[in-house]
Amino acid sequence: MSLFKGKSIFNEKFGSYFLIFLIVSLFCIFSVRLWYLQVYKASFYSQKAQDNLQRRQLIYAPRGLFLDRHGELLAVNEPSYSLTVIREDCPDIQATLDQISMWTQTPADQIHDDFTRGRSMVRSFENQIIAANLSFDTLTRVETESPYWPGVKIVVQPRRRYLQGEVLSHVLGYVARASEEELLKDPELRLGDNVGKQGLEFALEQVLRGQKGLRQMEVDASGRILHEEVLDHPVPGQNIQLSVDLGIQQKAHELMEGKSGSLVVIDADAGQVLALVSAPGYDNNEFVFGISHQNWQDLLSNPHHPLQNRSIQSTYPPGSVFKLVMAGLAHNQPDIRVSDRIFCSGSVTLGNRVFRCWKGHGWVDMTKSLVESCDSYYYQLGERLGVDRISEFALNSGFGRPTGIDLPHERSGLIPTRDWKRQRFNDGWRGGDNFNLAIGQGFILVTPLQVARFVGAIANGGSLYKPSLLLEEKKVDPEPLSWSEASRNFVYQTMIETVEGERGTARRLYKEGVIVGGKTGTSQVVGLLPQHLEDDPEAVDYWLRHHGWMAAFARKDDRTYSIVALVEHGGSGSRAAGPVVRDLLDYLFDEPHPFQ
Amino acid sequence: MVDRQLFLHINWSILAIVFLLFVAGVLNLYSASAFRIGEGTAITPFYSRQIMWGGISILAMVAAMLFDYRHLKNISWLIYLVVIACLIAVLFWGRTISGAQRWLDLGFFNFQPSEVAKIAVVLITSVFLAKINHPLGFRDIIKALCLVLIPAYLIASQPDLGSALLLVFVMAGMLVYQGIKKNTLKTIIFTMPLLVPLGWIFLKDYQKTRLLTFLNPGQDPLGSGYHVIQSQIAIGSGGFWGKGFMEGTQSQLRFLPEKHTDFAFSVFGEEWGFIGSIILLFLFCLFLYQIFLSSEEAKDKFGAMLCVGVFFYFFWQVLINIGMVLGLMPVVGIPLPFVSYGGTSLLVNFIMIGLVLNVSMRRYMFKS
Repeated sequence: MSLFKGKSIFNEKFGSYFLIFLIVSLFCIFSVRLWYLQVYKASFYSQKAQDNLQRRQLIYAPRGLFLDRHGELLAVNEPSYSLTVIREDCPDIQATLDQISMWTQTPADQIHDDFTRGRSMVRSFENQIIAANLSFDTLTRVETESPYWPGVKIVVQPRRRYLQGEVLSHVLGYVARASEEELLKDPELRLGDNVGKQGLEFALEQVLRGQKGLRQMEVDASGRILHEEVLDHPVPGQNIQLSVDLGIQQKAHELMEGKSGSLVVIDADAGQVLALVSAPGYDNNEFVFGISHQNWQDLLSNPHHPLQNRSIQSTYPPGSVFKLVMAGLAHNQPDIRVSDRIFCSGSVTLGNRVFRCWKGHGWVDMTKSLVESCDSYYYQLGERLGVDRISEFALNSGFGRPTGIDLPHERSGLIPTRDWKRQRFNDGWRGGDNFNLAIGQGFILVTPLQVARFVGAIANGGSLYKPSLLLEEKKVDPEPLSWSEASRNFVYQTMIETVEGERGTARRLYKEGVIVGGKTGTSQVVGLLPQHLEDDPEAVDYWLRHHGWMAAFARKDDRTYSIVALVEHGGSGSRAAGPVVRDLLDYLFDEPHPFQ
Repeated sequence: MVDRQLFLHINWSILAIVFLLFVAGVLNLYSASAFRIGEGTAITPFYSRQIMWGGISILAMVAAMLFDYRHLKNISWLIYLVVIACLIAVLFWGRTISGAQRWLDLGFFNFQPSEVAKIAVVLITSVFLAKINHPLGFRDIIKALCLVLIPAYLIASQPDLGSALLLVFVMAGMLVYQGIKKNTLKTIIFTMPLLVPLGWIFLKDYQKTRLLTFLNPGQDPLGSGYHVIQSQIAIGSGGFWGKGFMEGTQSQLRFLPEKHTDFAFSVFGEEWGFIGSIILLFLFCLFLYQIFLSSEEAKDKFGAMLCVGVFFYFFWQVLINIGMVLGLMPVVGIPLPFVSYGGTSLLVNFIMIGLVLNVSMRRYMFKS
């Protein structure tokens, strides 16, 4: 019906048109919007809906274990509990972080900082570790209260434990929290992961790590898990069996207690390392979940440098031990005979310099020179043979280059040459340098492991093995020693004579029923002082005392060991390092031992 | 009392459409009240209570058809005053449920005077406009506003801003339908913007947040923007064909809030997709068109205005609710007629339809 009688500014059908207009607009606007949401943006919103209900969680792969050669466990994994948050599930992240700070009794600032810093390394809807290695008390508190804090989850992570601590710290090294740099470099690493930082843990990181698995969960709005399935099963890291014999390692560690230095035991016939000790050691367990600042400072400022792996990372002048190389070289020369003699008066003069021998030996031939360690004989040899031949021969004998052991940061040591001296000091090679080199002093530097490998080659018939720490390692063909068999055998026999002879410098190694050969060495830290000649080593200030070497092999039945001990500032080799090797020999041959 | 003639003139298409909407609503409610527990599903019995309310509402609708609507002219004022009294009573003696004091306890059920106020306002406005046969001037508009602002203010202070606004909007729609004088219209259009900041002052904090969130839902995705974002995800992820009945992850896994009341359409959109949503939207438009036809055919001005009032009553609810769910309007607690769960609102909806049917079935009666 018509609404109005009388005039209107509107058409009298205005009301009707108005209502029709409203209906049509309603339909058009909402249709377009529905089309936009459900057709145009459908895949976008489907993804959003998926994200809502799916959570993915990494499953940590257990890190490979370390075992000794007899299967004794050396490093294991234990469960450790970490507190994590899923940012997207936290209604109030600031309050959640404050609560975590209360639980863990960590300053709130630090928690907030850690959260902000780690944020970019975690994908959305993934757990971000805020506090690791929770104590049992904290764990129980969080477990009871976390239902009131959506987004907070406890995650179990395997944590490394080194059962032998200090005994094997330099071999195994340690794992610690991956740094930001490592995280950026390695896409497989996640925030909070531990990676190998030192030792075999570092060297074998890729083998030990294994592969993380992935678990997919379906959750409802309150984060309750409705369904879960494992998308990728974790692949555990490979277990590693070391060639190290835990018994020998423990004994060696015990013998070096209170000393600074290195003790290396190698199975000479296979090149396998049975013990590798560097003293003092450190407790590698401390690093696993972050060493305290105080302990770290203590380690760094300790004058004995416990972190240093002296067996491969410290270099020393070999002292008289180098005479083994010199004698081998001399023996190889057609124009030098074993029976050629020189007279040792206790010193040799070159120009205006006097080079001392530690005693007047009288008439000395090649055998006696080694057995009684006569310096005068080698001064004369050094002068005759010259640096070029000596350094080439030393390099061939395995010095001046890394042995290739599977540990990081191995040092090469130094075999000096003319070129090296010119570059280093802008000075020519002098006669006196030959004298020093011939008795293993001056510029020459070696590592205990290099010496052990060399002695092993003397004992096993001339094979320089790559010292291996892994039992199952693929055998690398040994490098043959470039010595004539006669020369090697001469040095071999003379080393035995040094132990068995009445005047031998290594006679304290004598052991009934075992073939033992040895050579002592004393490397000077400073020039010879009058106090050094006194009988009492205590007369010299500790840091000025000589380093003592004892390089030995021991053979019985089909077992051949190469044993090298270096005791820093221990005085003469015989006195400082001799007893260590002697005691080890007793352990190796007297105690019933599985290694046959 | 009911003669055969009247029965034949009942607008059956309205009834058919309402029946379809109601069935769709109940099915949707069945799905919306289910949630997954582990591998199984649990259902809260919202849908059965909705069916029960549906039965009661149909009886009320029939009751609203039985008498000649013209009698309402005489008792409109009485209804209006009783409603005002109830609204005042609810402020003092009303039951408080989740922070709002909206219910009067009548022993056997909780009665919401604000719902009945919607009927009262439609009636009183129709009576008021039936007497005017020219475009409205200032004086008329002020009078009309006085009629609506008293109940609206009382409802807003419960607080129930959604219902209060609905009252004002329904009346505003009716006034515009009637027509407004040119000068008056001009003045209103120019003074409206000045009223906006004034209105802002009267809003509560959570209402302001809702408005701000509507303008930028991303600013607080887990707070007040959560509703709208989750709703859009639900609808959008439904895609063209929908996820299927009872298959919506957004609603089954409870990511969707208020899914059986204000956000019921989101559940529908997720499970029935673009196709289902368009059909539902089309049904609503058809429904509105039928009411519009009834007003066109009404035999007197009062009847026509009654239909127009009901038209706006439904129109605003559909517009505001679906607009909100689609992220086109701020979050206001207004349910979608026949689809959202809610006994009293269903009852009022059916009474409103009863009034429209009442008018339309008596369109051929001669003035007695």
